[in-house]
Amino acid sequence: MNGVRGHARVWIASRWDSFGLPALISILLVTFSLLSSTFASGFNLLSNLAFSSLVGIGAIGMVFCIMSGDFDISVGSMSALAGVLGASLVGRIGGVGAVLVTVATATVCGFVNGVFVTKLKIPAFITTLGMQYVYRAIAYIYTSNTPVYIKDPFWLFLGSGTVLGIPFPIIITVVCFAAAVYVLRKTSFGRYVVAVGTNKTAAMLSGINVDFIKNMVFVLVGFFVGIATVVTASYLGSVNPGMTGQGYEFQVITVVVLGGTALTGGNGNMLGAFFASLFLTYLQNGLGLKQVNSYWQFVATGLVLIFAVGINRVKSALLGQREA
Amino acid sequence: MKKILSILLVLAVMAGAAFAGGAGEGAKKEVTIGFSLWTMKYTFFQAVEKGVRDACKELGYKYIMIDQNEDATKMVNDLNSLVGQKVTGIVITPVDPGAIGPAVKKARDAKIPVVCADIGKTGPVNALMISNNKKGGEMAMEYMDKLFKEKGIASKKVGVGRVQPQYTYASQRGDGFVAKAKEMGYTVVSDLVTQPPTAEGGYDTMQQMLSANPDIAGVFFASGREAVGASNAIKAAGKNTLVVGYNGDPEEIQAMKDGIMAGDIAQQPYYIGYQSVMLLKEIFAGKTYEDAVVPVDVALLTPSNVDEFQKKVDALMKK
Amino acid sequence: MIRFLKLYEKFGIVIFIALGSIFLVSVTPNFLKLDTILNILAQAAHGAIVGFGMTMALTSGGFDLSVESIMALSSVFMAILIPVIGIPMAILVSVLIGSLVGVLNGLIIAKLKVNPLITTLSTATIIKGVALLVAGGRMIVIMQKRFMAIGTGKLLGIPVPIYLMALFFGLFYLVVYRSSFGRHVAAVGSNESAARISGLNVDLVKIGVYVLVAFTGAVASVIRTSQALIGMPSMSPGFVLVVLTITILGGTSLAGGRGNLWGTLLAAIFVSMIYYGLNLINVQVFYQMLAVGLVLMLALFIEGLRVRYLQAAKAKGIKV
Repeated sequence: MNGVRGHARVWIASRWDSFGLPALISILLVTFSLLSSTFASGFNLLSNLAFSSLVGIGAIGMVFCIMSGDFDISVGSMSALAGVLGASLVGRIGGVGAVLVTVATATVCGFVNGVFVTKLKIPAFITTLGMQYVYRAIAYIYTSNTPVYIKDPFWLFLGSGTVLGIPFPIIITVVCFAAAVYVLRKTSFGRYVVAVGTNKTAAMLSGINVDFIKNMVFVLVGFFVGIATVVTASYLGSVNPGMTGQGYEFQVITVVVLGGTALTGGNGNMLGAFFASLFLTYLQNGLGLKQVNSYWQFVATGLVLIFAVGINRVKSALLGQREA
Repeated sequence: MKKILSILLVLAVMAGAAFAGGAGEGAKKEVTIGFSLWTMKYTFFQAVEKGVRDACKELGYKYIMIDQNEDATKMVNDLNSLVGQKVTGIVITPVDPGAIGPAVKKARDAKIPVVCADIGKTGPVNALMISNNKKGGEMAMEYMDKLFKEKGIASKKVGVGRVQPQYTYASQRGDGFVAKAKEMGYTVVSDLVTQPPTAEGGYDTMQQMLSANPDIAGVFFASGREAVGASNAIKAAGKNTLVVGYNGDPEEIQAMKDGIMAGDIAQQPYYIGYQSVMLLKEIFAGKTYEDAVVPVDVALLTPSNVDEFQKKVDALMKK
Repeated sequence: MIRFLKLYEKFGIVIFIALGSIFLVSVTPNFLKLDTILNILAQAAHGAIVGFGMTMALTSGGFDLSVESIMALSSVFMAILIPVIGIPMAILVSVLIGSLVGVLNGLIIAKLKVNPLITTLSTATIIKGVALLVAGGRMIVIMQKRFMAIGTGKLLGIPVPIYLMALFFGLFYLVVYRSSFGRHVAAVGSNESAARISGLNVDLVKIGVYVLVAFTGAVASVIRTSQALIGMPSMSPGFVLVVLTITILGGTSLAGGRGNLWGTLLAAIFVSMIYYGLNLINVQVFYQMLAVGLVLMLALFIEGLRVRYLQAAKAKGIKV
């Protein structure tokens, strides 16, 4: 590419991963703030930041999963099962215990998914397609399709409490993402995940225990879904076997892809997922506050997703990278 | 380094926006009602919405409506948003009544009263306006019994297509029907949850009921669309099973006019919406409501009074 | 053994159906009635028809998550158009519009090279919004009773949907197994670059596939809409996953290249049998979900074993 325009394009492309979404978010924030003073209130911005954590935290595990070249569409049902199990035990083991049970249950579900994929060699998409029926059915049966309410103060604090004026979910999100980014960049595990996702055979040949990595990735998905479930349940004050997590898997995958992680596996954009969850939350919020017909929001979300992939594609082309 | 920069960038813009916008939050002198609605997809909710909107217009209140899009987490976020906008009162028709607890508490803590318009309630709401669903189910059975006697139908077999169990208040429709049926000496041979909760679901579930009990005399489907689907299934099978529905939507009215549905229990969604605002008005004036359930009457629709009912509804919606 | 396994690939589902039937017969006398069986088949129809389309999509190496929204769009258009241009024309136009969405999907996937998951996920959301907008968010009652005949009518005592299911099975059988298009689709699915190199217009094949899937969605919508007699901007939530389950249960490989049309048909009937039969004995719907999930896992487990057995046999030099 020659000339100023060419250089400018390449310049933007190379920095897109780091700055693209944040720049878009900033534009979004400014636009909506100008259009609606309610949008711009500290309360609104902060509470939406907290709200974005519901999908954002769940997306962390999914980033690992997609990077390793797999999928998990059972996260919504996992969330329902983990939530009802934990919530129902509050009376017996207290709030802290119940929260731990929720995270543990989701993690175990993730482990089960992982075993099916690695040991029984059933493709991830199909495994999680089948397991999502199973998990949700168990949740229904366990609760006789009745919602479970959460009245425990500890648990409720996790979703609604504030520390120094900052809603607690935001703190949880920041900690989770920081940990995730660290694992991804600074540990060998992170590197192995990328390797497995880029070229499974090559990874195996170079001595990486591919099965273990893949299994761990699903465990991570479950773990973070568990945390997200805890926060969501606290936000809502209840877990409903029929409603909890409905459509969650697609929201999470949208956020991951919008964040720049390629579906083909390999390198992923962890922080991108975080920004993507922010972007979508604020977009929805802004449109809603302007009383835009919610049906247009569906159209908008779908277009955003295609747009995102399109941008990734253009960026890759400009930089000579592999196509997403 | 890049990552930290980008995060700082976003935070800076947010802070700037908040600073610029925050200055505009003065005390609201006019009364604002925030209405959070499950969805606008069904006639029932459209009527509730019109009721709320008209009441606000009459009382000179400012009116804000947010559509939950059938999403429970959005519902909670919207509630929080209304609290943040410092509305004077909140009316909510929740998609998941079990999930509003913490958000309602936040509203009450901010001295904003909350009235639930139909569906259900959790948490410290001031009041819930909802149809007397149990009575509606009973009325359905009583009407069926009357029709059986008129037509000389001897069979004592009836069935019920329930709504999904998480809707505790609406489930009372099925409960009322079953209790009344047993009381009047009928056998409920089929007690199913209509699956999926749509018109096609009513069609499928009715077929299954007919398969299991070909001589079933009457069925009560606790949700309008499902009842219409069921009526179609009966017509397709060439049977004469009587169907009574619940809601009072145009689809059911049409089915009754076509003669495939025998009766319908009509709710008063417009009234529910309207009265919810009126209730808020009383609360503003100092009257106390705490966790109150205000039952709203339902009406029995038969082929004879259907036209009149439709005219009344049309008049309300055209206002 | 090997012959059995190869037969299993084609007709393994029959075993499941047989087992399920035996179970149901033993618990309720109503199962063996002609009415019941006909109803089960009829209720399998829309799942089967969309399943045929999905089978082609999977064979081509992709899939389509947007069928639900396409169904809604067609339903809404039918409700709006029937009073205006009559039933046959309305059906034609609605099916056409639904198929157009397939063109959109195909173009994005083939020309813009966007992953099918994202493409169809996005179009699903967009078309969902469009359907809601066109319908003004309402359900539209269809006054013309004659329209009901499609979904609920009977010819010679057999429900019309069964005829449609058979008709479309026949059509797709011809396309998949007896036409060059079918072979092209399988080629693209097994090895896209090889297919391209050998001169196939891969893009056109893909577009064709997605148009077909959308077409089946629109047709299924006609059946469902006629049963409900209401134009619905949102139909059968979760249906797309049921269709995917049916297709995979039927033996079509997610990796592409091999489509099992018989399997899809039988799997659709099987799933319908589970739902219907379990409802007959008043088993709650959650157990039905559990059953479907477990059957899927079991079927895949068996499939995994089967494939490995055959691979081992091949390695040992046994003719497979």
